[in-house]
Amino acid sequence: MDLNFTAEELAFRRDIHDWVAANLPQDISHKVHNALRLSRDDLQRWAKILGKQGWLGWGWPKQFGGPGWNAVQKHLFEEECALAGAPRVIPFGPVMVAPVIMAFGNAEQHKRFLPGIASGEVWWSQGYSEPGSGSDLASLKCKAERRGDKYIVNGQKTWTTLGQYGEWIFCLVRTSNEGKPQTGISFLLIDMKSPGVSVRPIVLLDGEPEVNEVWFDNVEVPAENLIGEENKGWTYAKHLLAHERTNIADVNRAKRELERLKRIAKAEGIYDDMRFRDQIALLEVDIVALEMMVLRVLSAEKSGKAALDVAGLLKIRGSEIQQRYSELMMLAGGPYSVPFVHEAMEAGWQGDHVGAAHNAPLAGTFFNMRKTTIYGGSNEVQRNIVAQTVLGA
Amino acid sequence: MDFDFTDDQESLRDAVRRWVDKGFSFERRHALAKAGGATRAVYTELGELGLTGLAIPEAHGGMGFGAVEAMVVSEELGRGLVNAPYAHGALVTPTLLSAAPAAVQAAWLPKIADASALVVLAHQERQARYRLNHVSARATAAGGGWTVSGAKSVVPAGDEADAFIVPARAAGAVDDDAGIGLFLVEKAGAQVRGYPTQDGARAAEVSFDKAAATLITENGHAVLEHAVDAGIAAQCAEAVGIMDKLVAVTVDYMNTRKQFGVTLATFQALRHRIADVKMQLELARSMSYFASLKMGEAAPQRRRAISQARVQLGNSMRFVGQQCIQLHGGIGVTDEYIASHYFKRLTMLEMGFGDTLHHLGEVSRRLQDTAGVFA
Repeated sequence: MDLNFTAEELAFRRDIHDWVAANLPQDISHKVHNALRLSRDDLQRWAKILGKQGWLGWGWPKQFGGPGWNAVQKHLFEEECALAGAPRVIPFGPVMVAPVIMAFGNAEQHKRFLPGIASGEVWWSQGYSEPGSGSDLASLKCKAERRGDKYIVNGQKTWTTLGQYGEWIFCLVRTSNEGKPQTGISFLLIDMKSPGVSVRPIVLLDGEPEVNEVWFDNVEVPAENLIGEENKGWTYAKHLLAHERTNIADVNRAKRELERLKRIAKAEGIYDDMRFRDQIALLEVDIVALEMMVLRVLSAEKSGKAALDVAGLLKIRGSEIQQRYSELMMLAGGPYSVPFVHEAMEAGWQGDHVGAAHNAPLAGTFFNMRKTTIYGGSNEVQRNIVAQTVLGA
Repeated sequence: MDFDFTDDQESLRDAVRRWVDKGFSFERRHALAKAGGATRAVYTELGELGLTGLAIPEAHGGMGFGAVEAMVVSEELGRGLVNAPYAHGALVTPTLLSAAPAAVQAAWLPKIADASALVVLAHQERQARYRLNHVSARATAAGGGWTVSGAKSVVPAGDEADAFIVPARAAGAVDDDAGIGLFLVEKAGAQVRGYPTQDGARAAEVSFDKAAATLITENGHAVLEHAVDAGIAAQCAEAVGIMDKLVAVTVDYMNTRKQFGVTLATFQALRHRIADVKMQLELARSMSYFASLKMGEAAPQRRRAISQARVQLGNSMRFVGQQCIQLHGGIGVTDEYIASHYFKRLTMLEMGFGDTLHHLGEVSRRLQDTAGVFA
């Protein structure tokens, strides 16, 4: 047993640290460190910088043009990016659809789709949830009918994160009503510029249009955009979930945000109030414990000795922690968290802040974080999964 | 970064587990508790296995192992709900004696290693709560030697011990870090009033009236902190072992006990509860590793890590203990069934070496701008 990273791992971390320091635009990290609004351009600029270095697909194996890093190296890369104030990479392309294309797509599809994902040129969206299919995703209805060399897609997807920027969308669609709901689902890639696709933003409780409804009205999709076999899409989607491991806990971002919480509490004069201070201390213990759990998973993956099946626990704990730090920051702001000045979340805004500039985004971030225990399989669904593992049935 | 155990550590774990399986059934524990909680015989058996010499240098007849091995053994003793003062006698005391003059080490460590002597820390005083610097017992130099006067409370296995290590003030005011000496006092020099504890063992009120004392060190505060940290790390591991077993017992019960014609494991309210229990168990295990792996760091980092771990363990022990009793229903609150004994031990562990609020205060006091496993 050894808590410390090896000399090689530390050298790797230093290299990443130096590269991020030299390449992450300061206007972007300023926004991230202060929870200001990030534009499509900000997100894509950083994605393309990573893409040029070959690191946008930082989890990719070498054969597909990735760096071929092991679990620890991936973690260190994510940590250095998060602590430096890099925006979260929008995962739909490089983290979510690319591994499915690699594992189940054909050579033609590899050639056609992966380069645009790796470079950050093409913005991908996810089309899973539907108005009637949230936690019960397998009940989805959006239909794809095969006609000759095309699928005709009709139906609706929802909660499509940043779908307003999307150029391509990977969808779970119903291709059969035979048998169990899971067995009639296919995995289809759809060009969002196709006639019949329409996107309508949904404004969330923080006032931001973060998600969208996407409609498909007789959309023609070439059959060559089907991944793998028809009616096997559910299996592919589950493969994706199984490969979504430790980064679901987002512990690196939590460490960065804990630092911000301490800065805000000091600025608001509440850091030395022991009742408030103890709440920060409790959160700090939670974050260290989560980080230890993440490190245990990484160690198990590296050695291959004892697999550690705690993905559900990491999702539950990570999301609870995200909600807690955003809540404590809002409470640290006190009455100055009440004003809702929409423009004050733009970097460089020249208007008069109520209180200090750091107060403007606090309540909005708290409201936004309510999503974390709902998406990606709600925490109650995660508890079902954990219980099944613990109880063996 | 590597959280795998070595083959030697796994063998050590197996050896303890085999002894528990063969020699320490629940019936034996229950009978010991019923008879008043005397466990010196159990401690002697641990000595025969060599375990009481775990942390003692080989030169003094021990195994010279470190914090990870102590964690492995403590986890297994927890799993077996072994009521013997192992952390106190075999881990805390050798750490304290590491600050003693060579002759004192040579006189005592071999006897501790083979369990022929049980020496325990007698440090708690009325009103001290969990502060290690709150020492009102006095030490006086007299005729080339020392005497100690004062009263110490809830000394583990106090009436079964052969000697005590006593923090006593040679100088300074009652809450000063400086001026605290550590002394070894043999039982002949102590007045001891023993009693059973809630978790099936014994403790004692121990007082000294100008008792002849052997000096360990005149600068005792730092080594006292270090020894207590070793005790906390061991108790964190013991708690993980206990919780591991208690959760397993609870899962078995949920899969067999039927109500409304189906097993308890059928009900979603209970399934979600056991998922939350599993969460607390894994967080606790993670922080138990953290505590033991930080034992070698410099005092400020070590103390902070130990308190962080202890906060997590305190929260986990309370949740896992209470909820596993609740998940059992009525059988969980009976004396004849093992679950209540795990629960009582978990509950009492919180009050050894500082409760959760005490350690939360320590974490609060030691907050830095950055945080995390490597901060």
